[in-house]
Amino acid sequence: MATTNRSSPLGPLDLPRPEPRERRVPEHLWGYVLVAPAVLLVLGLILYPVGYSFWLSLHSKHAYMPIETFIGFENFVWIWEDEDFWRSIRLGMVYAFGSLSLQIVVGVGAALLLNQSFVGRGFVRALALFPYMMPTIVVVILMRWIFNDSYGVAKFLIEGSGLMARAPVFFDPDHVMLTMILASTWTFFPFVVIGVLARLQTIDLELYAAAKVDGAGVLRQFWHVTLPQIRGVLFVIVLLRFMFMFTKFDLIWLFAGAGGLGYFVRTLPIYTFVKSFGELQVGFGAALSVIMFTMLSAFAVVYFRLFRRDEHA
Amino acid sequence: MNPILRIFLERAAVYLGAALLAFVCGFPLFWMALTSVKPDREIITATPSFWTGAAHLDAYRRLFDQTKFETYFVNSVLVAGGSTLLTIAVAVLAAYGITRFRFRGRESIATVMLFTYMFAPIMIVIPFYIMMRKLGLANSHLGLMLSYTSFSLPFSMWLLRSFFQSIPIELEQAAMIDGASRPQAVVRVVVPMALPGVIAVSIFTFIVAWNDYLFARVLIGKDDLKTLPLGIQDLYESSVTDWGMIMAAGVVITIPALAFFAMVQRHLIAGWGAGGVKG
Repeated sequence: MATTNRSSPLGPLDLPRPEPRERRVPEHLWGYVLVAPAVLLVLGLILYPVGYSFWLSLHSKHAYMPIETFIGFENFVWIWEDEDFWRSIRLGMVYAFGSLSLQIVVGVGAALLLNQSFVGRGFVRALALFPYMMPTIVVVILMRWIFNDSYGVAKFLIEGSGLMARAPVFFDPDHVMLTMILASTWTFFPFVVIGVLARLQTIDLELYAAAKVDGAGVLRQFWHVTLPQIRGVLFVIVLLRFMFMFTKFDLIWLFAGAGGLGYFVRTLPIYTFVKSFGELQVGFGAALSVIMFTMLSAFAVVYFRLFRRDEHA
Repeated sequence: MNPILRIFLERAAVYLGAALLAFVCGFPLFWMALTSVKPDREIITATPSFWTGAAHLDAYRRLFDQTKFETYFVNSVLVAGGSTLLTIAVAVLAAYGITRFRFRGRESIATVMLFTYMFAPIMIVIPFYIMMRKLGLANSHLGLMLSYTSFSLPFSMWLLRSFFQSIPIELEQAAMIDGASRPQAVVRVVVPMALPGVIAVSIFTFIVAWNDYLFARVLIGKDDLKTLPLGIQDLYESSVTDWGMIMAAGVVITIPALAFFAMVQRHLIAGWGAGGVKG
């Protein structure tokens, strides 16, 4: 035949098929073999520590010395009576809800904007996502510099523009939480943008055309067309972002540290860390993380219930 | 309202908003870069200027000559690179196993993977630290790599699973008929087809490891083993802050993130949909 010179790069096609090789491991066992490393890692390094946390929470244990006594639920009783614990919950709620609501407002606004067409959109889109890619340590040192009490450019801009006669001292007990919420919003709002923008791009444009025919203005279009469409993705974003913000450690810790100003932003994760590694009460710390876990689970359950009911109404 | 005026106002609003957004996101980056090349007298001043005629790289020289920044940087590259490779290897095996073989417990593995989303690092860092000390892995890069790998694994498996599911099994069979062994078929056919997923997974893992502070703080005590977030924090707190140098450090640490970001853009949305971004 004329076409025989088109041989496969892997070799001539008319070779006999290779014999199926003998498998020492039966076919169905291969599945287990392949997932074993992943399962072992997750089991050993995530699930086991979580279980270990529960066990530790029932003990009084020093971080370094081999002192370990079973004390039942006493840690939890202490926590219940601990003023600092309740304070950490309040501060954590302020931080989580404060930064979450700002992220949602700014994020949805930015996503709506970036969904419009304008010259330079690609550039602004890339720029708007970038704060999220920035390592936390860089965000913190950068914000400490921009909001510096003496030489910060924020102070200069605020006072120079006449917005305020005297800019607030951003890093003092009264303002550190607000400064931190602003910094957190800056670095985390792109998460909201990415999710909402992806959803906005899939909305059928005919819905808007129909709304316009009915005489709906921009606001009513947003309320009656856009919002119902992005509700689903907002649901997930709010859930995830709340959990991330409520358990946020590195940004807060680096922002204000353990002592001094840190006292005014000592949220539950910070308090857990201070108790475990500062005061070396590992059992108490583990009990705090068990409480954190329980609160998050409860939040997720309640949130799902509320949303589901909302959906059917 | 006059329709032409209305369109004009709408356009103006869009451009104003875009300018504001670009300023808010871009100005801090610009300010960091500018501060890193300004002479000291232009840094420590109550009336900062928004440009400098005397740009120089002294701050970068100080950073590399007078601090252990280089060591921290190399450590971060090693740890982040190692975690990424390990995650890819383990996640590809697992995702392939889950999508190509039927076995009991296959579904529950997927559920457990999702469940791990409930665990923030701060909740497991205490027992994790105790375990690592018992295993003799405290103060080691291996301990860090293992922690980052296990944290990125659930997402990585989840994402790769969906990629592998979309690759027809006939392609592998065809390769095997052509004489490839099964591992060869996976490496030469399946992985290249799932490349966007593999890239997304490696970028997210790299960023997790590159950014992490908590595990590094708890596990690493030796100065020579510190990764960048630790090193920079200690640099910042150790003496009177040399803002030029600190900003220079910020610029250098951000560059890898920027490079990855340029690559991730296209895959970001796919990764986001699968829940890749955490934190």
